[in-house]
Amino acid sequence: MKMVLGVKDLSVAISGRVIIRNSSILIERDSLVFLLGPNGSGKSTFLRAIIGYPGVEVISGNIIFEGEDLTSKPMEYRVSRGLTLAHQTPPKLTGVRMRQLLEALCRKTGCDPLEIASDLEIKHLLDREFGKGFSGGELKRAEIAMLLAQKPKLPLIDEPDSGVDVDSIEIIASAIKKLVRETPYKSTIIVTHSAQISKYIKPTLTCIMVSGEVKICGGPELLSEVFIHGFRELVRESKGES
Amino acid sequence: MALENWLERVRERAKSALSKPAPYGVDVNISEYLKPVSGEPRLDTERTSEVGVDFSAKAYYTQIDQAYFKYLSRIPGVEVKRVEDFIEENPDEAREYVWKLIDPAMDKYTAIAALKGLGGYFVRVKENTRVEDPIMTCLFMSIGGLQAPHNIAVIEKGADITIYTGCTIAPESFGLHVGVTEYYVEEGATLRYIMVHSWNRVSHVRPRTAVWIKPGGKYISYYVSIGRVKTLQTYPVIHLEKNTYAYTASILLGLENSILDVGGVAYLLGEGSAAEIVSRSLGKDSSRITARAKIVGKSGRGHIDCRGLLLSENSTIETIPELLAEAPNVTLTHEASIGKIAEDEINYLISRGFTREEAVGIIIRGFISLDIKGIPERVKKHIETIEKITAERAL
Repeated sequence: MKMVLGVKDLSVAISGRVIIRNSSILIERDSLVFLLGPNGSGKSTFLRAIIGYPGVEVISGNIIFEGEDLTSKPMEYRVSRGLTLAHQTPPKLTGVRMRQLLEALCRKTGCDPLEIASDLEIKHLLDREFGKGFSGGELKRAEIAMLLAQKPKLPLIDEPDSGVDVDSIEIIASAIKKLVRETPYKSTIIVTHSAQISKYIKPTLTCIMVSGEVKICGGPELLSEVFIHGFRELVRESKGES
Repeated sequence: MALENWLERVRERAKSALSKPAPYGVDVNISEYLKPVSGEPRLDTERTSEVGVDFSAKAYYTQIDQAYFKYLSRIPGVEVKRVEDFIEENPDEAREYVWKLIDPAMDKYTAIAALKGLGGYFVRVKENTRVEDPIMTCLFMSIGGLQAPHNIAVIEKGADITIYTGCTIAPESFGLHVGVTEYYVEEGATLRYIMVHSWNRVSHVRPRTAVWIKPGGKYISYYVSIGRVKTLQTYPVIHLEKNTYAYTASILLGLENSILDVGGVAYLLGEGSAAEIVSRSLGKDSSRITARAKIVGKSGRGHIDCRGLLLSENSTIETIPELLAEAPNVTLTHEASIGKIAEDEINYLISRGFTREEAVGIIIRGFISLDIKGIPERVKKHIETIEKITAERAL
């Protein structure tokens, strides 16, 4: 089986408002996919639709993972099948210690919480309440640590590099690489609007989403063109508009 | 002679209050519980283990109904005995400690305890004795009726101790429990008091507690009600002299038709005194919880933190924080909030691979988890076990 995840002609609404229109994406083995686009273009909603987040309603299209149609399945089921989502901004969990969450996940999957915390340089956060008083970088590192403990088959990673200092990006990128290496398909989708993480992770496929639509996908060269022309210009050019 | 006169005055005052209701909580007809009850007092160790009682403790006091008492201390510097034995053996001292912090005429429950109560522990921790193992006390009701023990603890200068009390009842016993507790924390001493209650759906519970903290003393209380109960009302009173600290936490789980009215007041009497009153209420089924807290200050600082989590459509939670500043040199604050579990938090944890039930359990456990400073490791383990049981029962 070559295709790991296939999203076909997906349209999605939140509270009755259409956010994503007829968007498709295909993830194969060994695919490091960057989903780029300006703020508010629908990238996070696209990932949430794939994971089946409550409140994100699929109007049409389908989501196939490992050959199984998950379009109408609840998030709990999709996660149990191996999908997961690293949130752009995880909620703060009052009274819930980072250590407690990592240990609970590691009990399920068989991992070492201290090793993970050490890799992401968050040992100092273990006895803190999850998300409370964390800096931007710490929050992202904590979130990737959770994904490492979760051991998913296909991680979907939302904005790992936004609001993060340079040192943190390097740590996060290194952890994402490790995370992907440990998955059976060695694939991921990374949503980013600044593409800062591309300094450390080179995509095999770059897709651009503008105004709720995946407009174009291409090889690594597309990323360089984004930096030169910007999203909208590039999309116009690809359609032959002047 | 002085003691006898004092006890006679106590009885006279009690008689005057036999029909006086408590200012808070449901009024209970106490005469129902004074009728003779038949049956043989019997300890149910399954029930007592639910409230964390460990009978292998080095110092313990066990009381079943008002009929069976067993106590022992193998810890040097720690004295444990039945309160009647203490009064008989030390009449002059007893005059200083018995019914000194609590007025027997406070309400009908203290009155009935003064007139009909039996048993209760006397604990003395001698000067500078520091013990990490808790003194274990167990008050169990097996045949119902009235159980009104009178507990006294004197923590002498520089001593450091934890008293753990588990109170429970046989499933269908029709009982009224009035525990009268007077604690004296002397200069530089620390008393940690953990009390776990798990009653039944026909029991009424009216603990009456007062604490006096002398300069440099600390009092940390952790109270949990995790079982069904018909009605529960308590309002401990803490007096803080200068440079003292008191922290009280109440974890209240309302189940079925339980009515809980739990609170307390701290009087900041001296410079440098500080009090924190914390409550976490979990409302399930059709339960009704009132979480009260009051700090009255002439000096020092006080903080109230009352939070409630509604876990059902039909439960209610009310928080009543009160602050009274009686002089400018006092800082009093409070925060209070009531709500339901945020769906976003549940969804987040589901996306992390937890089931919905596990996610709710984690959030509830977090809600009741308190960062209490200065708790020895062994005591922390007890608290963690209690948190786990509470979260499981809340699901």
